[in-house]
Amino acid sequence: MRGFGVERVAAPSMRYQFNWSVLWTGESGAWLLSGLITTLELSAAAWLLAAVLGVVSGALRTVRFAPLRVAATVYVEFFRNVPLLVWMFFWYFAVPPLLPVEVQGWLFAHGLEFWAAVCALGVYSGARFSEVLRSGIQAIPRTQLEASVASGLTTFQSYRYVVLPVALRLIIPPGTNESLNLLKNSSVALTISVAELTFQTRQIETYTAKAIEALTAGTLIYLVLCISIATIMAWVERRTAIPGLITGGRRRR
Amino acid sequence: MRRLMGLLVALTVLVAGVGPGAAQQKSTLDKIGETGTLTIGTRTGSPPFAYVNAKNEWVGFSIDLVDELIKPAIEKKLGKTIKIEKKESTPPTRIPLLSSGAVDLIAETMTDTRTRRESVDFSLTFFVTGAQFLVKKGSPIKGIKSIDGKRIAAQQGSTNARILRERAPKAVLREFPDQPAAFQALVQGQVDAYTNDGIQLAGLKSKAQNPAQWEIVGDFYSYEPYGMAMRKGDADFRNVVNAGLMEGIESGKFFEIYDKWFGPKGELPYPMSPQVRSFMLLQVVPK
Repeated sequence: MRGFGVERVAAPSMRYQFNWSVLWTGESGAWLLSGLITTLELSAAAWLLAAVLGVVSGALRTVRFAPLRVAATVYVEFFRNVPLLVWMFFWYFAVPPLLPVEVQGWLFAHGLEFWAAVCALGVYSGARFSEVLRSGIQAIPRTQLEASVASGLTTFQSYRYVVLPVALRLIIPPGTNESLNLLKNSSVALTISVAELTFQTRQIETYTAKAIEALTAGTLIYLVLCISIATIMAWVERRTAIPGLITGGRRRR
Repeated sequence: MRRLMGLLVALTVLVAGVGPGAAQQKSTLDKIGETGTLTIGTRTGSPPFAYVNAKNEWVGFSIDLVDELIKPAIEKKLGKTIKIEKKESTPPTRIPLLSSGAVDLIAETMTDTRTRRESVDFSLTFFVTGAQFLVKKGSPIKGIKSIDGKRIAAQQGSTNARILRERAPKAVLREFPDQPAAFQALVQGQVDAYTNDGIQLAGLKSKAQNPAQWEIVGDFYSYEPYGMAMRKGDADFRNVVNAGLMEGIESGKFFEIYDKWFGPKGELPYPMSPQVRSFMLLQVVPK
């Protein structure tokens, strides 16, 4: 018979108690969805900015005219060598005071934090894209540029119609890499109160005190997003592969 | 960088927590006895509870309570001296830090709530406050009834943001992971007010460059009893922590520490009301 002695039970309750239902009860689903949308909007806007800056500065780093080359180099080295978190604070806290008071007021009332995050992420990633594109351009034999100039194209036209179309195809794998980095880096925007996906997982934690479940949901969403993008880009890479130059890692049938 | 560290810690915990048998099994007192160390999770930017002062020392009321009341109680129980190690905890990371065993006690400004009690255990209440608003002097914001359409900064993971979302759905909430960023947004005008527990706003105001420029407005719109959090289901450890606090309240040491921080000559004058004093005394159960 179990007596009156003090029972010393190894306390199983001290282990973390999982409760996955917090992810589909209450408002969690709506929060995750709105966080996902914000993450996608932020990443898409920042990606466009980064792509433009990256292509322009990457191309300029390979031109003969020294002042343009120096300007592009300064941009790249300045922006890629300062942590993204610092850039977030810079665009959110340091830039607005430089603007006229009326503009400041308008920005504060119209989602400044989102656009500050787009600038921070876009300009920072643009510097990284730039290096990727430069390596793509430098992988193309210099003779191609010389041949296109010799055939009567201006330097701009040579880049536009000969060099860049080839370079952009060459850099799809590292470009995908940088794009996925950009998507994941968008989580740093929560430091300036952008309610993106990671922010929303924390929100669930606030309401339910279940951090591990909320983080797991966020992790899975990022994972699915990134794998989808990687898959699509792998398809694009195969479609645009140039026979003889790149073959998407396999022979064409 | 601390913010990022917090996220990293949480992710590490995520990985560790999912792995089999990674969660803490040993009792906290055994762990402290073996390592000779009590690891606490506390804040770096919440004066005067836990912050890094001008001399770069990590101090505060909550930290003193651990040092002067709880540490002796644990030492008495274990029969050996222990040391205290401090780690940074923030609202999103503090429960995972506890669950993973990275820290043994959260001693900062954590409000005891029923939802949180489903995940962690709390000590006695050691401070009582409620949420208010910090605004620039002369602001039209006078309390929770006058914030419709205004941009209000809150600390993410705090109970205040949650209450505001329910009680003032027309206010535009901007949530920041920590206090300095939220306050900076208020200083520059990105937001119209910053809401947090009244005592924390008072701490922030007193540390501001020009305290007279700021005003704390509104009645308490929430009740925030601060407790120290521990891993759930470790009654032995909780009893020792509570015994330390009770002995401190009984002997008057607790009130001395309170006066050191909140007395007339303290960091942040905030005299204890007679009601709070009797509430503290009533929490003490007989020996």
